[in-house]
Formats: sequence, structure tokens, C-alpha cells
Amino acid sequence: MKDSIQLNGNSIFSSYDSEKNLYDEVFDQTGKVKKYYQKVLSLFNKLTLQDLKKLNEFARASFFNQGVTFAVYSDNLKGVERIFPFDLFPRIIPLKEWENLEKGIIQRNRAINMFLYDIYHDRKVLKDKIVPSELIFSSNYYLKEMIGFTPPGKVYTHISGTDLIKHKDGEYYVLEDNLRCPSGVSYVLSNREAMKRTLSKVFSSYNIKPVHDYPEQLLSMIQSVAPEGVDNPTCVVLTPGMYNSAYYEHSFLAQSMGIQLVEGRDLYVDKNFVYMKTLHGAKRVDVIYRRVDDDFIDPLCFKADSVLGIPGLMGCYREGNVTLINAPGTGAVDDKAVYTYIPDIIKYYLSEEPILKNVHTYRCELEDDLKYVMENMENLVVKPVDESGGYGIFMGHKSTAEQRKEFQDRIKSNPRKYIAQPIMSLSVHSTFIEESEFFEPRHIDLRSFCLMGKNKDFVLKGGLSRVALKKGSLIVNSSQGGGSKDTWVLEG
Amino acid sequence: MLSRIANSLLWMGRYLERAQHTARYVNVHYFSALDAPNLSKKEYVLDSISCMTGLSYEYDEDILNLEDQNLIYKITLDETNPVSIKSFINNARENARGARDILSSELWESINKFYHSANAYQGKTLTEEEILSFTEMVVHQCAIVNGYIDHSLLHDETWSLIQLGIHTEAAGQLTRMLIAKVRDIEKTEQLKLGKAMETYQCIAMLKSAEGYDMSRVHYKSVPNLKKALEFLILNKDFPRSIIFNLEAVNNCLQKISLVKGEEKGSVEFFAGKLQASYSYLTIEEIQDQILPFLEKTLDNLYKLGSLVDQKIS
Repeated sequence: MKDSIQLNGNSIFSSYDSEKNLYDEVFDQTGKVKKYYQKVLSLFNKLTLQDLKKLNEFARASFFNQGVTFAVYSDNLKGVERIFPFDLFPRIIPLKEWENLEKGIIQRNRAINMFLYDIYHDRKVLKDKIVPSELIFSSNYYLKEMIGFTPPGKVYTHISGTDLIKHKDGEYYVLEDNLRCPSGVSYVLSNREAMKRTLSKVFSSYNIKPVHDYPEQLLSMIQSVAPEGVDNPTCVVLTPGMYNSAYYEHSFLAQSMGIQLVEGRDLYVDKNFVYMKTLHGAKRVDVIYRRVDDDFIDPLCFKADSVLGIPGLMGCYREGNVTLINAPGTGAVDDKAVYTYIPDIIKYYLSEEPILKNVHTYRCELEDDLKYVMENMENLVVKPVDESGGYGIFMGHKSTAEQRKEFQDRIKSNPRKYIAQPIMSLSVHSTFIEESEFFEPRHIDLRSFCLMGKNKDFVLKGGLSRVALKKGSLIVNSSQGGGSKDTWVLEG
Repeated sequence: MLSRIANSLLWMGRYLERAQHTARYVNVHYFSALDAPNLSKKEYVLDSISCMTGLSYEYDEDILNLEDQNLIYKITLDETNPVSIKSFINNARENARGARDILSSELWESINKFYHSANAYQGKTLTEEEILSFTEMVVHQCAIVNGYIDHSLLHDETWSLIQLGIHTEAAGQLTRMLIAKVRDIEKTEQLKLGKAMETYQCIAMLKSAEGYDMSRVHYKSVPNLKKALEFLILNKDFPRSIIFNLEAVNNCLQKISLVKGEEKGSVEFFAGKLQASYSYLTIEEIQDQILPFLEKTLDNLYKLGSLVDQKIS
């Protein structure tokens, strides 16, 4: 076994030229392979290009046949089915590094939960001027229906997806908190499966923390928040339907937990209880893990024209007859402007220093910040506070003067809608690039998955490493040409 | 089980069976025409295929003007035609996808693979090799899917609903096939083509139901029309016969019904009565009036289908 892998000769890494300014996950600054990556790298170096292409093809076919695809909306009614590109080179996180991350994720989500309880009850945090009231009350996601209501176990964000990046200083930063039905966990599990099928050799030489216990943990969390007095709760996953882009994940989660996958039209409300229509009559439903947005869950309360929801659901919920996962109204915190206050929120509720760093954020609604943003457009990323999926983002360093002018006007017309952040240099990771047929560095992030139930926290060991396949691109979303990697948390 | 899922399972079974029967019929008829007794006009073959698949002049005048190749395309790959094999496969897969969470991964993967294999055929015209490989692929993939249905699911409600769909459809498809064949034979009789033609048609009929070999084993002779009809309608041991499928429908209904004993007017009652009336039938009773008999059978099967739909939704 060599100490380091030379990046020359005819290896498939030969065109690898690590960029000096970026943090590389695999190689240190002198170009040496980090210790925990050595075995993987030496395996890859033994492979020929043909081998690698074959493995790649094999993994792709496995996803395709399993139907691990997402739909891209197009003229075609059915949508076009795409595989979420999967990279064979795994991302490795040493256990020590991970343990700190895990602590930080739990700390952050605990504080967020307490914050949610507070803004829907006494609002101490607002009265104490830690967070400005306008910020919360102006949010479209703050629901008056939730005021004064306490969900079972005081849990609001049963499932959260914290997005993290590693900056060039080698530190993790939280990029955003996804508190409204975050998706992607099924890819974590199927990536691991694909990895085991294709590169089984590497697995035996590493001691990798398993991820397969996620469905079990999820189910026990779901059961823990069942309505008071229900011993053997009937739990379901609610999907918008087969044509939703994340349908595969919905059916996968239902199947792996062994619970029913339902659509809105399968459920109805009678005297403030929820029932599903079965072959043998009505069956009461106690917990709904819904993958339908707040706006659509109950046409009597929210969007009246929604056909995805169940009329009267919110009434049952407020009576305590059914539990919704996540609680409605969590979106008030899942907002890029509120994000900037999370470190203060952690200190306020937990009296602890935040373990995970926030990216410094300029709030355009503040006069000084707005001024700074206007003057430094080319060094900033500007994001709308309430959109997801990488839409509506302005990247300063790639903009033309004209685009900057246009975006400045847009910000000025509605400053509350925008925040700006310095351009963070996401770390890079070796990734197999089909066009060049070489491993090249690409930017990656990490979506973690955290579960909170009644007296129970769990963070999935690993998470989804998303990779921006386009050279130089910082946007990793699957809808914008991103891919993913299996993520290993290594023991010892 | 959710009613919606029950419905998806039923229709998944029905579409799978529909795809399979149509593919086999096209395969047998298109290729047997190649070495048919010389007076058999190719038009008859195409006519027979379009009759069997439900494309008919009465509904769609364009059929008259279609070239052979276009007609074959319309029946096999044309996704704008709701009764093409491709549409059946798409629908089977969509229904399976809707019930994905209660199927085994093996079964789902086999259906999904089937769908992708069909998508590999993209052309607007099919060569003869392609017609052969496409229809064989469909029959083959259906056999694989059926294997997973039988061997990777619990034989409970889920399985029974899929089987209910399969057997309801199988009885209907076989009846349609027999009607098309009996009409073919009547037409050739008018042309006085003789005994060779009748035998040829009987073989095509039996092959279309994968029953040629077993009918010879059973009768120990070359088939004639009477034997072929008896075998396909009344043989209780042949899994594609009408009576076999009616029995299977009844068994499935028993499994998914909570109420035992049949209420008058219920689907269980109707299916039981239908099966009973075929159980004690002989070929001699029906052979002279075979076409009206088959048409009546088809009517009864349509009624059975709609009663099943009512029960489930």
C-alpha cells in the first residue's frame, strides 16, 4: 500500500488539477491523499477507464430499473424520467468530525423547535427583541391557525434537513434549514445500496456507519407523536400523487416503514376524525407524515382550490385527533431572513454557544445591510428568502453590469424578500466526469437529516452529499443539474 | 387496503394480461401468414388482428386506408392509440407505480424493466424482425412479471386483486380471440378453401392461447375446430381456457370478500352463477351456435368486469 497516490502517469486522475483556493476533501494542499481516502483511491487507481465506465453503467441501470428517478416537467404529460446522477467516488467524513456535526445539528433543531413553540404561544423571543416581530408576522408561512395550539410532545419539526457546506477554512457552515418536508433521504439509502452492489470490495476494508436503520427510526419517531391515548396508531404517508417529482421517495418511505401511502382523495374527515377509504370500509388514521405543503393540506383553511388535501383536516389536528408531520407553520422559520437569527435563537433558548456556524448574511431590509449589498453586488450571492430548489438566485461573480442593475432594482422594490451572503467557496471533491472521462474536482454540500420525536433525537449518519456536476458551478440542486454521492461516516 | 390501491392492482393485472394476449395474437397471426396455404390473403390476417384488438372499421374508418406497416404500428407501439400494446404496458406500469409501496421490489422492478424494454422500440415503422422481437419480448416479460406476482407476494388480498384482474381479462381476451377466429373461419369457408385452411386456422387459434402443444397432448391427434373450441372454452385443466379463468375469478372473489355466501345481485353471485353454467356445458350443446354463444359470453364478462369495478370503488 502506497502512502500517497501520485497524480500523474496514466491514471484516471491524471487531469486532476486541484485548485489552490478551495478546500479539497480528498487531497491536502500538497496534493497528498488524505489518510482515510487512501484505500478508495488505490482501488480506483487499479481500475481501467473501461472498468469504471462499466461500473458507472451498472449503477445507472440499477437506479433506472428500480425506478429511482425524478420527473422533469416538460411538454410531455408524463414528464421525462431522469436518474439523479450518482457518482461512484464516495465522500468520507471521519467519525470525530461527524460527532461534532451531529451535536451541532441537534442543538440547532432543538432551538428551532423551542422558537416555533414560542412564536405560536407567548412570543417571549419577540418581546425580548431577539428577533424582530415584523420578520415573523410578515412571513407567508406564519399560520394564525397554529396560534395557541401545542402539537404532541411540543414537536414541530419532526424531520429537518440542515444543509451544510465546508468553506476554504475547513469549517462547516449551515447554509439553510429545511423545515418543510425536506426530501432526498431515499437517495441516501439507494446510493448506499448502489455502492454496495458496485464497489463491494471497498466496503469490506472500511468500517462504515450504516444508514439502513433510517426507516425504522422514522417509524418509531412517527409513532412517538401519535395523539394522546392511541396505543397502536395507524400512520400513513400522504403524497400529492404519482406525478409529483418526489413520488419515488414517498413510496419508498411508505414501503420501507411498512405503512400505507395515501393521497388526499383516499382520506376524509368525519366528526373531527380522519378516515381512509378501504376495501372493507373506513379506517381511522392517527398520524399523517405529509409530503404536501401547508397551503394544500386543507382546502377549508388554506388554498380553497387544492385537490391534494383533505377538507377539515386542520380541525381534526387542532382537536388533537390526528398528528401532522411536520407541524403546519414551520415555514415561518424556514426562511432565509430568519436564518440569520438562528445563532441568537440558540443562545436565547439553550444558553449555549452555537456549535455550527452560520454564513454571514446581509438582510436587505436593514438600511446598512442594503447599502452594503448594493455596493458589493459582484461579491455576493443574493437569494429570495422564500424560494427553494435553487430558483431566483443571483450570483454576483458571474453577473454582467446589466444583470446587476436589474437585480438591484428588484431588491429595492421588495427588500424584505432578499438576503445576501458572501460567496462561500464550497469544498470540492473528486468526481467522475463522463465527458472528460477523468475524476475532476467538483463542489459539494451536505444535506443532513434529523428526526425529533417525543423525547427522541436522531441524526442519520451521513446524509446526502450533493455535487454540482458543471465545472465551477456552486449550485447542487437536482433540478439544476446536480448529482449525489454516497456519504460515509467512518468509525475510528 | 385503500380502495384506490385495490383498483390499481386490479387494473395492473388487467393491462398486463391485455398486453400479453394482444402481443401473442399479433405474433402468431402475422408470422403464420407467411407460410399460410397460398390462398390465405394477407388482408385477412391484418383484418383479424384489428378485429381482435378492438380496432375496427366501424369505429375508425382510417383503418381502411392504413398500410400494413402502419396498422401494425398502430396496434403495437402507437401511444396515441389507447388499445395499443404500448398503451397497455404504460397503463400497467402506472397502476403498479400507484401501488408501489405494497408490491415487492422484485415485482415492481420487473414491471419497470418491462416498461423500459418497450420504450427501447422507438421507430414509427417496424421491420418484420422488430415485430417478432417486440411481441416476443412482451410475452416473455409478462411471464417474468407473472412469476414475481406468484412467487414474491403474499397470497393475500393484494395478490387476489391482481389475479382477479388477470383472470377477468384473460377470459375476455380469449373470448374476443375466439370470436375473431370463428369469423375468420366463416370467411374462409365462403371462399371454399378446404380442410387445410380450417386446420391452419385452428392451429393459429390454439397457438394464440399457447394451447397448441397441450391440446395435442390431450387429444393425441391433430386438432379440428370442435376440439380446439372444446379445449379453449371448456377444459378445466388448461390455464387459459374460459372455464379455468371463471373458476379462478370466483376463488379470488372469495378471498377478498368479507361476507361469506353470495347475495343476489352481488358480483360473487353473478360470478358463481356464470361459472356453474359453464361447468356442466358440453361442446355439442354450443358448437352449432358458436358465434352467438361467444358473443353472449363476452357480454357476461363485460358485466362481470363492471360488477368487480363497482365492488372495489
